[in-house]
This record gives sequence, C-alpha cells and structure tokens, in this order.
Amino acid sequence: MPSDISQPRAGTSARVTSVLKDLDGLVHILTCGSVDDGKSTLIGRLLWDASDLPEDTRAGIARQAGPDGVPDVSLLLDGLVAEREQGITIDVAWRYFDSGRRRFVVIDSPGHEQYTRNMASGASHADVAVMLVDARHGVKKQTRRHAAILDLVGVRRVILAVNKMDLVGWDEARFREIERDFAAVAANFAFRSAVSLPVSARLGDGVARRSAAMPWHSGPTLLDALNEVPSRGTPDGGAFRMPVQTVLRGGQDFRGLAGTVCAGAVSVGDEICDVLSGRTARVKRIVTMDGDLAAAVAGQAVVVQLDTDIDVARGAVLSSPASLPAAARTLEVRFVWLADDPIDASHGLLLRTATDLVPVSHLAIKARLDLETLEEAEAAGCQTNDIVIASVELGRSAAVDPFTACRETGCFVLVDALTGGTLAGGIITAIGGTRGASDGQSFRLTREMLAKGLCRDLDPRDAEFRRRAEEVAIILRAAGVAVHLDDGNGD
Amino acid sequence: MSRRRSHLDVLEAESIHIFREAAAQFRKPVLLYSIGKDSTVLLHLARKAFYPQKPPFPLMHIDTTWKFRDMIAFRDRTARELGLELIVHTNEEGLRRGINPFDFAPSLYTDVMKTQALKQALDLHGFDAAFGGARRDEEASRAKERVFSFRAPGHRWDPRKQRPEMWRLLNGRLGTGESARVFPLSNWTEGDVWRYVLREKLDVVPLYMAADRPTIVRNGQILMVDDARMAPKPGESIVVRRIRFRTLGCYPLTAAIESHAADIESVAVETISATTSERQGRLIDHDQTGAMERKKQEGYF
Repeated sequence: MPSDISQPRAGTSARVTSVLKDLDGLVHILTCGSVDDGKSTLIGRLLWDASDLPEDTRAGIARQAGPDGVPDVSLLLDGLVAEREQGITIDVAWRYFDSGRRRFVVIDSPGHEQYTRNMASGASHADVAVMLVDARHGVKKQTRRHAAILDLVGVRRVILAVNKMDLVGWDEARFREIERDFAAVAANFAFRSAVSLPVSARLGDGVARRSAAMPWHSGPTLLDALNEVPSRGTPDGGAFRMPVQTVLRGGQDFRGLAGTVCAGAVSVGDEICDVLSGRTARVKRIVTMDGDLAAAVAGQAVVVQLDTDIDVARGAVLSSPASLPAAARTLEVRFVWLADDPIDASHGLLLRTATDLVPVSHLAIKARLDLETLEEAEAAGCQTNDIVIASVELGRSAAVDPFTACRETGCFVLVDALTGGTLAGGIITAIGGTRGASDGQSFRLTREMLAKGLCRDLDPRDAEFRRRAEEVAIILRAAGVAVHLDDGNGD
Repeated sequence: MSRRRSHLDVLEAESIHIFREAAAQFRKPVLLYSIGKDSTVLLHLARKAFYPQKPPFPLMHIDTTWKFRDMIAFRDRTARELGLELIVHTNEEGLRRGINPFDFAPSLYTDVMKTQALKQALDLHGFDAAFGGARRDEEASRAKERVFSFRAPGHRWDPRKQRPEMWRLLNGRLGTGESARVFPLSNWTEGDVWRYVLREKLDVVPLYMAADRPTIVRNGQILMVDDARMAPKPGESIVVRRIRFRTLGCYPLTAAIESHAADIESVAVETISATTSERQGRLIDHDQTGAMERKKQEGYF
C-alpha cells in the first residue's frame, strides 16, 4: 500500500507564505574544473548541505554511503547515458536549487581543453564562476585557460575553490601559496572580483558550513560568497537599449515594438532613436498584459508604442539618443569556434546579433589566441575550440556596441547560411568603418526581382522568401559580386 | 517600479523573450498543449508575450483517447474562452489496431499513441517548430536540453547535433528537413510553476486538487477509475480514496497520491516541500534505465 499520505495541515500559514513567496534573487553559477578536481562532489555537496532535496533522492544517496559513512554526493549529478558510460561530463548541464531566499542555477560544463567550446557556451550564461583546483596540485595551466575563457564571454566574478584541503592536512601555508598564484593569474583579466576559498567538498568543510579544521580561514564559506553575488535582473545603470524582436498589432492603429530591455531604463515620454534609420520618436506607452508601465528597466520584456510611426522592425535597437550604438559595417571581433569542422571561407556566413541576422560579406582571421600564454599567434584559419581575433565585414549595417560597453548588443553568433548551424560565438571588441545607409557600388537584390523569379510561389511575408533571398545573395557573393539585399525589411 | 525583481519576474521575462524569438524566426510554429499545469503556464506566458495581439500560432493536443475526462473538458473550455484555435490529433491507425494502455507495454503504447501521433500531426500541418512545456529540472536527460532543440528529418533527436546556445542569442535557422522544439520553461522548476499558478491566479485541471475519487491499487500504485474501460482484475476492488495527481497524462498510466491538499495553495506547499521527485507518478519512466533519453531519441517530446 502506498504510504505517502499527507495529513491536513493546521496552523501552517507562516510556512505557507514563506514557501509560496517569490524568491528574492536568481544567480547562475558556472562550475569549471576537471573530474579529478572533485567538481561533481563540490556541486553535490552544495545540493546536499544547502538545498531542500527530495527525501527519496536523499535516502537513495545515503544508502550508497561508503564504510566511513560519508555519502558520495557526486551521485546527485548523473547525466546522459552515453556520458555515464564514458565516466565524464561532455556537455553543459543545468541544475536548480533553492537556498534561503535565492534560486541558484548551476551550469556544469567540462573543463578539458577539447571541450573549450562547451565551457565557453556554458560560461556565457553565468553571473559567477566557481573554478576548482586540487590543493595538492594548485593553479595549473588549465586555470589560466579557464580564466581566459571566462573573461572573453563576460563573466566578471570568479571564485577559486581550493578543494581537497583535507588531503594537505588543512595547511594554511599551502592555501596562501595557491591564493597568491591565482591572484597573479586573475590580474591579467578584467574581473570585478576574484577570490580564493579553502574547501573540502567530500567532507563539506568551507562549502556551506565553516570549517573547524581551518580556524585560520576568516573569509566566507563558498555559499556565503555565492550569496553576495548580485542577482540576475538587478538594474545595470547603462544607456537604454532594447533590441526589437517583433512588431505587434492590436485594435485600431496600435503598432507596438516588442522586446526585452537589455540595458538601462526607459520611461513614457523619453525620446528614443533607431540608429539604423537615424530617426527618433517619443515613447507613448509601455504595454504589458498586466497593464501599462510608467517605466521599464533592463531585463523586463515589454511592448513599446511610439508617438510617431518611424517604421522600425525586428533587428532595430531602440536606444537613448544621448548614447547610441554604432550602425556598423566593419567589426573587430573575438570568437570561439564551436563547430566540428574548421572554418571554410566558401560557406556563406550570417551574423546573428541580439535580434538581427546579417550576411557576412568578408571575414578575415588575424590571429589565434594561445589561452595558456595569452599570446597571439598569427593565423589564417580556425578549428574546433580555437579562440581567434578577426575582422568582419557585414553586407549591411547592424546596430551593435562593443561588448564591454553593452553585453547584449555586443555579442553575436556566426551561423552557417545553408545548414543553419551555429558555428561560432563571439564578442565585438571594436567598431570599424561605419558607413551610412548608402551602399556604394553593390548590386541591389530587391524584393520585386525575387517575387518575379525564385520566390514566385511565396507570399513576400513568408520567412522562406527571406531565406531564399539570402541564399541567392550568398551565391552571388561567393562568385565575387558585391550584393546588397534590399527587401525593405529587417530580419 | 523600483520594486526588486523576484526570481519569477526574471523567469517570466525570459520565457516571453523565448516565445517572441521563436515566433519571429520560425515559419509556422504550434503550441503543444497537454492540458497540465506546465501547459497552463506556457499558454499564459504565450498570451503575455504577444499582448495585445493573440498568440500567432494555434494550440495542438495529441489525444490518445485515454486522457482523464476532466482534462478534455478543461481543454475545450480553455480554447473556447480564450478564442484560440485548437487542433486535436489522434493516431487513427493506432486506434484501429486497438493499441491501448492495458493490453500493451507502456513503452509501445506511448510510442504509437503519443510519439508517432505527434510526428504525424507535425508533418500533416507542416509545423516547423513546436512549443513545449518541458523543464530541465524534470529528469536527468533533460538537464542538458537546449531552449531551441533541433530535430533531424524524421524528428530524430541527436544529442551530439544540438546547437550551442550562448548569451541570450537564439538561432532558429533551420537546415533542410529540420524542425525545432522550443522550451520556454526550460529554467523553471516544478515549484516555480505552482508559485506562478498562484501568483497569476490561473485555473488548473481539478485533478491536481485532492478529492474523493474511485480508485484501485495495481502494482502498488493508486490508479483512478475514470471510466468503465478500467475494469478491476480479480482481487482488485474499487475504493473511494482522497487523492490528487502531481502530473497528468493517460489515466491508466498516471499514479495518484493520497493527499488532503484541496486547493492550489496547499498543493503548492505540498509540492515545494515535497519528499519525492516529480516523475515518480509516471509509469512510463520506470520502464528501463535511461528510458526518457531513449524515448527522446525516438522522437518523444
């Protein structure tokens, strides 16, 4: 007989309110390090000591404890069948736990060099990274490589968890030595904070509880340090940016621009500018299904109605006129090559920004970054896991910022125009030439031409219309013809 | 306005962002509506994403003909009240062959009446993207699922062919014959779904709340006798128990739990302070180890 019966609860109102209330914050933690450093054990320990695990899960792990009675908390992190068989983690896995008034999202990515791409994609979502080293081995070349990847994708807070302190006799001198080495590594990068903490993930010391074995450690536990990280959705104070995702209509004359505010804030009455057309308008309404807002801040998904119709569409970035993004045709970039095959110049490439999709007319790789020495080596191509420095010329202007000025409008992925695959993820380091709307000597491929020919069978609003148009443009460019795709529309 | 944004505010905005990206990038999306609490939240977020417009895609339900009667009533009422197009698809070939959850292994039944039915329906209508309510916290194999998850021709899921997703950039450009599944609730937990149902005052199928219902116990699991097709076997008797369901599916395959949580608030409290993980109640998951992962490779949602 099932025995899982809950009794009616009386007088639980205090508990009810606390359990049902929204949590105060949400923080994404990237964990990086290799299996040997005890990464699964560290995440497992956080779950075991600091979260409310279902009791069936807890009991299952406790049953499998070894002769010393210490549960193998790494068992909390089983993955795909293929990976279990190989005994390593090769992809990015997401896990969720609540501790106190906070939601923590643990992004678990592999640390080995052949998985640099997995780590870079996992890290791009992180608010903080926990890097792991074995106290017996200290900071390794790998630590420097990891720090370089974190810095590239914009992680600004890092914690070095010096694990297995029990295996070095809880020795303070050993910890201080590693702490110094790490500070030297971190000084090469733009981290806002970089701290080292001594822990034993297997025993739990320094993870969620202070360690009696390390009375010399006056700093925070790992959990305390994670609780200090500002939550996702904290207003950022930058200049207003809202990439337009789609245009919504409703009732008479309503034309709203839907998007997520990705930097700064906007209020009703504010003047905004679309840098691609150079046109400005004022915010008339900020619409949501829960009612109109007086203002919206970074992280909010809204619909903006303007006082005059300036005909912007998907791909535009509504911005503060006081601090505009660039309407750029040439970009200096860094990217990590994610694809299995090396870059092939004959393939058509598209560059996907926040909401725009722009054909790449020329891409020149200049150098490959050696992540361990941080030196640049001249290079012309790139393959899986390489991080390269390149310049990109776009088929038309896109509204972008340098990544350090605005994260969301400063990152991109490179897309294979024919297969649709995501080939690379990168950041804009500088804006090159910013030619205006006129496109010089290029061939204008227009909607009218396509509607009479290749796209005869399609409605011009059909996404397939656009896709075929881009393919024609790519083929022409491969044949050496400069093409400007003029379909009077955004993405 | 200066109010601090809670974790649900952050999750809601992220889901709306995903809905809008998918609707802008895919040619013909559909929302797979499975009537449960996750679908309820999914649909509510879809409405928010496109307000004041209606969501620019229909709802579709894969009806195995073995869903709880309360679910079907709730489904039809929801579509009617919101004025949304609802497509209902059943694998007629499977029905003709008499595939049912009593006489066939759960894995075979699920494959024919759910997985195959879904593929048929997507192909029949030419949908290139389907929104689903899957969450990464549901099951180990889902922990690595992408927000835009791609399916090769024939709807096969190849874990090695999934696209990396970086920052908030979502790449929905399809290769020939590919289609996508889109999971706006990827980063929600079961507790979040209930908190949100409460916060937004959403209506859910009454089966989530405890009530006295006719049941039998089979293989140690409490099953509800929802209609006459479920006949007691020798030694089994129909007993009225106070039960509710944590997840909803086909009634002969969905185990109930005994509970006194009779309103959404008590259900949410019970769930968030739960002692067992969610998919315990789904019999199909216990078939074999790695069952969910194998089902996904075959095309199960």
